[in-house]
Amino acid sequence: MVSRLLALAAALLMAGGAGAHGDHAHPGAAAPKVDYAKVWLEKQQTAPRLAVAATFDDRGRLWLARVVGQQLFVSSSVDAGRSFAEAVAVNREPELISADGEARPQIAAVGQRIYVSWTQALPQPFAGHIRFAVSEDGGKTFAEPITVNDDSRPITHRFNAMLADASGVTLAWIDKRDGAGNSDYTGAAIYTARSTDGGRSFEPNRKLADHSCECCRIAIAADTDGTPVALWRQIFGKNTRDFALARLAEPLRRASEDGWEIDACPHHGGALAIGRDGARHLAWFTGAERSPGLHYRRVIGETMTPPLPFGNLDAQAGHPQVAVSGRHVTLVWREYDGRHNLIRSMHSRDNGSRWSTPSTLARTASAADDPLLVTGHQGLWLVWNTTADGLRTVKIRP
Amino acid sequence: MKRFLLLTVLLTTLLFAGLAQAEIRPYVAGSLKAIEGEQRGQPFILTFWSATCTHCPTELKALGELVRQYPKLKLVIVATDTPAETPELQHLAQTYGLAGQAQWVFADAQPERLRYEIDRRWYGELPRTYFYDRQHRREGRSGAVPVEQLERWAGEHVK
Repeated sequence: MVSRLLALAAALLMAGGAGAHGDHAHPGAAAPKVDYAKVWLEKQQTAPRLAVAATFDDRGRLWLARVVGQQLFVSSSVDAGRSFAEAVAVNREPELISADGEARPQIAAVGQRIYVSWTQALPQPFAGHIRFAVSEDGGKTFAEPITVNDDSRPITHRFNAMLADASGVTLAWIDKRDGAGNSDYTGAAIYTARSTDGGRSFEPNRKLADHSCECCRIAIAADTDGTPVALWRQIFGKNTRDFALARLAEPLRRASEDGWEIDACPHHGGALAIGRDGARHLAWFTGAERSPGLHYRRVIGETMTPPLPFGNLDAQAGHPQVAVSGRHVTLVWREYDGRHNLIRSMHSRDNGSRWSTPSTLARTASAADDPLLVTGHQGLWLVWNTTADGLRTVKIRP
Repeated sequence: MKRFLLLTVLLTTLLFAGLAQAEIRPYVAGSLKAIEGEQRGQPFILTFWSATCTHCPTELKALGELVRQYPKLKLVIVATDTPAETPELQHLAQTYGLAGQAQWVFADAQPERLRYEIDRRWYGELPRTYFYDRQHRREGRSGAVPVEQLERWAGEHVK
């Protein structure tokens, strides 16, 4: 009896011991995957969902998309965000929606059509689907959401960006279909899809570029002819994570030469605005040692201005937005001064050559989303979501 | 019977001792001071990681291997996730052979507040590793640290 018990206890002890010390003999590839899935899922379920999307329509009404629970809600404001009409749920079937930091819902208003897109988080680590829905009656009701990525495996299709005008809707996202099951493939890819029937259907997915970084938001803006232009963090060479620009369906060009060689997740995409003169105004973050922090540059044809550093390096300056109107260029970004989250801004009146000294547009003592810059309603607005002070809208200039 | 009981108690105690692992402590404002205090007078590695970071498994695996090679290595790992995920984070660390190491998890709705205290020039990229020497002069590095660099550091600092 005793010997049998001893044997059992010994077996248990060994099992317990192996578990406790996480023995290195079997680092088994399958085990961590399962655990990651649990943490991933829990994180998706408990994320604060502070990231919102906002746009003005052509009548000056502010449209807002925000996630509550497992639904995306859209509401509008006729007084630039002081008050909002009752929110309309976009997806009737609940689903996990990414709305945190770089993973953000998107909204666009074109006439009576309200377009929204988001990333549905899947239980598998880093996996998602690009989702889209349209309202054809000015935001009163939304059609059943559709999945836009035509690769339906539970892998990365995330970080949706959207651009819409009267001619159609373009979505761009980060997609790991080319790297799935191919460990030699570096990073992810940028895929796009276009709808030319007002969001009822999308043409087949197209790859814009191979080897993008995996977890930075994509910026997208309309060129002078309406063609979407994307800016994203690309992996150049082995692991240099600098930025790339490309017009839809055209080859990319390198847009920054910071030389940030890193095997890490920066979670820090860039910002893009295009002027009527076709100049591309870029703002981005790099951790490259020789010039870390935020930078601005203008790209006109083949010419690129030297990167202009901005923001306080000792206050975590990051997550910039840029807007252009005529020769006025505005930059906003977030900082943390040890007690408050701040939104800082600076302006140029000469198309980005000379800049004002930075000033503080808004602050909160609570957790906060990254800033949004939204054009419309007689000017440029900061839209900023915070936990303690709610949604802030601040007019930047007349 | 008495002998049997005694043996059971003994074995149960042993069993629980074997299963025991480092708890995950909530990382709040002031925790860096606590960590540095606990490690006073000795070199150590402080690594920040997260379950949502694609490069963190590489880093944890390398650190697990380093700890195996250098059992005297002092390592502190801090997950930038939330306390709600503690059981899974613990399990994950164990999978990489890091169960016996000091573990913490961010417990603040404003991670920027914690980062500000840790390093004003850390922007949240992960993994993030700090190498502390005996005098606690430290060197920070973002991204998975190459194995050769980890081994070189351990060779120089772990006696």
